[in-house]
Amino acid sequence: MTIPVSKTQLDLLGDRLRAGATTDSDLRLLDTFRRTFVPPYEHVILTVKNVLAVDVTGRPAKSTTSIIEKLKRESIRLTQIQDIAGCRFVVSDVLAQDKAVAQLVGALTSTTVVDRRDRPSHGYRAVHVVAMIEDKPIEIQIRTTLQHLWAEFSEKSADIFDPSIKYGKGPAEVLSVLTDLSSMLADVEADELESQEAPADPGFDALKRDLRKALGLLIERTAALRKKRVE
Amino acid sequence: MLFLIAYDRTRGKVANMRSFADSQRRVAEDARLEVELDLNRRGVQQEVVLLEASTEVALRLTHRRYFEDFAELARSSASSTRST
Repeated sequence: MTIPVSKTQLDLLGDRLRAGATTDSDLRLLDTFRRTFVPPYEHVILTVKNVLAVDVTGRPAKSTTSIIEKLKRESIRLTQIQDIAGCRFVVSDVLAQDKAVAQLVGALTSTTVVDRRDRPSHGYRAVHVVAMIEDKPIEIQIRTTLQHLWAEFSEKSADIFDPSIKYGKGPAEVLSVLTDLSSMLADVEADELESQEAPADPGFDALKRDLRKALGLLIERTAALRKKRVE
Repeated sequence: MLFLIAYDRTRGKVANMRSFADSQRRVAEDARLEVELDLNRRGVQQEVVLLEASTEVALRLTHRRYFEDFAELARSSASSTRST
């Protein structure tokens, strides 16, 4: 039988995690807390699958590493973290993204939509729907293929160079590549959305293919930069 | 399926990965805790995460960062056409 943990106990745990020197008992308590998100998480996963029939990847619990980083980075309490549990799926374009968001908002009872397309978070563009189930927030990340490629590139760069890259800090040359690329992708997606109201423009598929190739070249350039730094 | 991943961020590589059937959620969660406790006791810095996807292929599409280096990401980017 699991003993209920109070909000105060959890926020004190958050303070200890933020301070460092994690103990076994702290890890066990954090694990207990994270497991309370499983029933609402399962409800959301099932809803996404039933309503949208997409191939969704779920993350029942945020990693300890990411939780500690978030606590250190932001003046936030452990019980205030919105993305302890969640899932992600990728759609073809912005129109499909808008449609998926609308369907989810219609299917889930209490939701907040965080649209990071027009106001990116350090270049990160996507739409997140946060569903409140049994008083637990469950975050659904909906990305287009282009937004997803950018995000993967950004996350890999953060792993390899500096975790703060995701938050607009770190090596200027990498940040500059990421920012420019994010703006470029935003322009293409805005034009694509506009053109979808008119007759379909086959030129956009070609443009997106070229963009992906360009993104590939940029990633190679970043890899070369890393090699140079290591040497 | 459930996938328990221990990821070495600084090397940008998966250090260990185990898979579990959907029916083994509790077992997978227990395993995640055990891995975290072990790494913490040994002072090893790795990100431990439990992910759920229909297949490993699907997982690799939504979480490329864990599985691909920059060169592979570049190739994926140039050839990526799939969406879900």
